[in-house]
Amino acid sequence: MLLEVRDLHVEFRTRDGVAKAVNGVDYQVDAGETLAVLGESGSGKSVTAQAVMGILDMPPGRITGGEVLFRGRDLLTLKEDERRRVRGAEMAMIFQDALSSLNPVLSVGDQLGEMFVVHRGMSKKDARARAVELMDRVRIPAARERVKQYPHQFSGGMRQRIMIAMALALEPALIIADEPTTALDVTVQAQVMELLAELRREYRMGLILITHDLGVVADVADRIAVMYAGRIVESAPVHDLYKAPAHPYTRGLLDSVPRLDLKGRDLCAIKGLPPNLANVPPGCAFHPRCPMARDVCRTDVPPLYEVSETRGSACHFWRECLHG
Amino acid sequence: MSDNLTLPAQQGSTAAPAETLLKVEGLTKHFPIYGGFPIKRKVGAVQAVDNVDLTVGAGESVGLVGESGCGKSTTGRLITRLLEPTGGKIEYAGQDITHASRRQLAPIRSEIQMIFQDPYSSLNPRQTVGTIIKSPMEVNGINPAGGREKRVRELLELVGLNPEHYNRFPHEFSGGQRQRIGVARALALNPKLIVADEPVSALDVSIQAQVVNLLQKVQEELGIAFLFIAHDLAVVRHFSQRVAVMYLGKVVEVGDRDSIYNRPRHPYTHALLSAVPEVAMDDETENRERIRLYGDVPSPISPPSGCRFRTRCWKAQDKCATEEPPLVQISGNREGHLTACHFPEDPTTQARGEDVVLDPALKALEGSAEKE
Repeated sequence: MLLEVRDLHVEFRTRDGVAKAVNGVDYQVDAGETLAVLGESGSGKSVTAQAVMGILDMPPGRITGGEVLFRGRDLLTLKEDERRRVRGAEMAMIFQDALSSLNPVLSVGDQLGEMFVVHRGMSKKDARARAVELMDRVRIPAARERVKQYPHQFSGGMRQRIMIAMALALEPALIIADEPTTALDVTVQAQVMELLAELRREYRMGLILITHDLGVVADVADRIAVMYAGRIVESAPVHDLYKAPAHPYTRGLLDSVPRLDLKGRDLCAIKGLPPNLANVPPGCAFHPRCPMARDVCRTDVPPLYEVSETRGSACHFWRECLHG
Repeated sequence: MSDNLTLPAQQGSTAAPAETLLKVEGLTKHFPIYGGFPIKRKVGAVQAVDNVDLTVGAGESVGLVGESGCGKSTTGRLITRLLEPTGGKIEYAGQDITHASRRQLAPIRSEIQMIFQDPYSSLNPRQTVGTIIKSPMEVNGINPAGGREKRVRELLELVGLNPEHYNRFPHEFSGGQRQRIGVARALALNPKLIVADEPVSALDVSIQAQVVNLLQKVQEELGIAFLFIAHDLAVVRHFSQRVAVMYLGKVVEVGDRDSIYNRPRHPYTHALLSAVPEVAMDDETENRERIRLYGDVPSPISPPSGCRFRTRCWKAQDKCATEEPPLVQISGNREGHLTACHFPEDPTTQARGEDVVLDPALKALEGSAEKE
């Protein structure tokens, strides 16, 4: 197993009290596999990724428990300088907003080359040559000329390609992409997703795709983990989940998406709002919004029940949900 | 209908149902670019909207879709007269309002309202919800029966908020609730037309559905016409009866929802529809066509000659570079379905024999993947 997150807990100290952003998350990613982590804002999907990458702001954040095993080694116990060697070289991250993630006063060539200078100790000239190569690989036209340009001279899709190039630079074993296409237009989004999928196949990398877009997930992911209020509520191979969700939240999400056969009619929206993380409801966090909630949901936190060998659901009534 | 019969645009647009509330003809907006030193001169123009024709019938919902930078938001702002058009004509209920003065516009202002994309920046953080919703009535001097406060409470209830929250401030609400406040403000003056500029794109999926349902309820129960501007094709398909597709400042295709989504004729509409990742419960994704366009939208400062889409189009020929295709009804299309293309596509969204992949490097990658 390439990456294994076990029972991860992350808290934030806020003025309203302690917000439990991540509440016992488990997931695994194998080499060459794509795991999609799906959730709405505030579900803890990005915080989990930041904890795995080791870029969580601490304070106010605090990892209060759990393990992040990367190739069998617990990253959370490493010292910062050891951690730094892993970051970028063995695992890399692609961020949502490429414009604010790139340095506006350095040319893209300098920023790409920096990876090689810092991690590989290359000369600036060699690093520049590698930068051109990388830009070619993510299919930026006229890479040799454009390597000298600055981020503002690129379009949104091209900037995101540079982010991908930067993540790929040292051929990491794992890439975490945090909403990589949310800021892009659909035609460009399709290009970028396809590029990411092809490169992942070529390098046999593990990919964690964090997103709120159910459509993007359906196209590229192998497995999917749905997060709600800091916990994974359902985990399944992507086709199983879309065919028959085993958690009412997943069902609600799928029903909220406008579909061809339902046009003009009311969408089945999930009622209410996601909970405040400083004050998560007792029992199942989803129960105030759940159409199937019963007394037991208000008192007992559902464990991740085994639905089949490859899927789990954190719902007391997953059988009903799966067949209803 | 054996030969390629084409009809002029005017005949098609009269097919709009009900009476026409808003009629836009040849609408153009060029933003000037100034440069030079020490005396700044106009050195060019961003051709944000170029010669756009559009009609919205009373009580009708028209969707305006396109990628960022295609001019859809500018069109919305021109129609609400937040921007001054460079050319063309905007007719509201038979009255020409293209260059109407503030005073001339005053009676119409209350009938055309706008809902904005970002529910965080479009509400004044220092005003209470009551003040926010009340102020359009104050500005327009409207005194509803029972007083303004009563009306505000009614509106809050209508959009699904607690009327007791009258004295709260925007920061006490979530994104979806704020967007409801925006909707309540737009409804305060009993408008006939609402221009909604990406009203749900800043919201989470489950909240998006709630707001779409609310807008749908408002549209059906109050009979308000909507110009629904969005980049999310699925939401537009759900909400709008007619859809106009824009590319680089021009409308390239317009027609009934079903006609556009099931029988698109313009290659760009095809590509746009095929690029949308679809949430499919069964195996129908296998039958969908895949078109991957190459590159980005060209700059609107110097758009391509002729057909603006030709630089990314797989069917482009010499004619496309020299002659701009008119927006007309192509043979085989339903009435009211207009397309601006010299070489229209077959009306289907089924998979073609081979995927259209315009990106040369991507093609190479896919080729090597298949060989493995």
